[in-house]
Amino acid sequence: MEQPDAWHQTDRLDAEQGKGDPFAAAVRATRMPMIITNPRLNDNPIVYANDAFLRMTGYGRDEVMGRNCRFLQGKETDRGAIALIREAVEANTDIAIDILNYRKDGMPFWNALYLSPVVNEAGQVLFFFASQLDVTDRVDAHLRVQQEKDRFEAEVAHRTRDLTEALATQTMLVHEVDHRVKNNLQMIAALLAMQTRAITDPAARTAMESMLTRVEALGTVHRRLYQSNNVERFDVAEFARDLATDLVRGSGDRIRLHLDLEAVEIPVAKAPPVALMMNELITNALKHAFPDDRPGRLSVTVAPDSAYFTIKIADDGVGMPVQVMEQRSFGKRLIGTLCRQLSASIAWMTNDPGTIVSIRLPREMAGGLEAS
Amino acid sequence: MTEPLRILVVEDEALILMQIEMMLEEAGHCVVGTAMTARKAIALVHETRPELVLIDLRLGDGSSGLDVAQAVRDLGGITAAFMTANAQALNEDMAGATAVIAKPFTGTVLEESLTYLEDCVRRPPPAEFVPPGMRVAPAWLASFARMRAALPPRQGPH
Repeated sequence: MEQPDAWHQTDRLDAEQGKGDPFAAAVRATRMPMIITNPRLNDNPIVYANDAFLRMTGYGRDEVMGRNCRFLQGKETDRGAIALIREAVEANTDIAIDILNYRKDGMPFWNALYLSPVVNEAGQVLFFFASQLDVTDRVDAHLRVQQEKDRFEAEVAHRTRDLTEALATQTMLVHEVDHRVKNNLQMIAALLAMQTRAITDPAARTAMESMLTRVEALGTVHRRLYQSNNVERFDVAEFARDLATDLVRGSGDRIRLHLDLEAVEIPVAKAPPVALMMNELITNALKHAFPDDRPGRLSVTVAPDSAYFTIKIADDGVGMPVQVMEQRSFGKRLIGTLCRQLSASIAWMTNDPGTIVSIRLPREMAGGLEAS
Repeated sequence: MTEPLRILVVEDEALILMQIEMMLEEAGHCVVGTAMTARKAIALVHETRPELVLIDLRLGDGSSGLDVAQAVRDLGGITAAFMTANAQALNEDMAGATAVIAKPFTGTVLEESLTYLEDCVRRPPPAEFVPPGMRVAPAWLASFARMRAALPPRQGPH
């Protein structure tokens, strides 16, 4: 309710803002706490305070009138904020600032203070007008959010550190296993190579050499693993380059190799069957297409084909003899089995002269891309 | 084939050591010694003064092939090459070694790598072809390229 002497307070302010002035009435009745101070008096005291201000601060009107506003400050009030307000008053400018103030009962509250000088026509500052707003909820919420954010960030940093450590351990483990696998494949190849040298029977020797070539193809797969940026993918084209170069150069210098390779990345798990398949087809071509030291040309193509990719191996040799095509050799069974595993389709065609073998296979694992 | 190369093989896996030795001897080279630890290898480098040292990176007793390569570099005039399943662990300098042959290597790659290294020792520069899985240290590659540029040009169409 309106205090009886409120009228009197406004009366004292200025003649123009006196009793019955609708603006003065609005200031008295508004829910926004407001005060007016007079900088022309000693220590810039409060000369008017509305009811909302008294409700917010818990003081009686007689307790605030004639006093400088600094009684609102307390232990936790930011000295920097106080200094900014003082500077604004001294410079006769307005200022909006959130400052921690204290009620009469000692309860702190966040005060959104707006302070503005009231200047007459001569440019002289007559009063300071200050409006306040208790924004404790807003500031607390902001601080809570900030604290939550800090806590969350600390948690994220902690988890990231844990994961980085786990990843480092895992990477070390992968490298250790990778190293062992490669060494073991080298040992298997060493055993096969040494035993093969001791064998005199030509058929047994040929079989051992085929085995050694297969083991070496798997070795080349493992040598190439983890070399790309993506440790889960395996580049068929780069592998094909290494494998074909190795096999063709190993067969003497009468065969020219032509490579037509486009990058095709497949899941690592698919690499061994793809590698074995290519090994069978290239060694077959080298073994059957160029008898009696016949010179020739072998071309290897790897090309992506939407969700599939194709591998083509073409020679300009004598063509696959019918008996080779029809025989149930281990190599042919191996190719059939690998085709089934890879869901691949395979076709043998006449190259005139020579043979073309073309394989088309899905890039992703079964149930991968095709299913989606 | 010219005079056999005098080669020291440093490898802690007996089977692989055996295969390399066998292959080198079949190619007509002379294996002057084998070692499974860096300490033994360094002693043998000084003792036998080989022309080529083939070095595994991880050696017995937890020792490192890098120490062997460093000793070879300090001595000077000896060609060194790594043979390792951990080729990506080597930096570009390779402790002064000429190349690294990544394991597992095929028989063909081993033969052709050896031809390359033999050329490095006996008649540099080697041919430009580098076998799959072999990586030549950039400093050596650049030096071979300079040598090739300084060679008298092959007979052209004129």
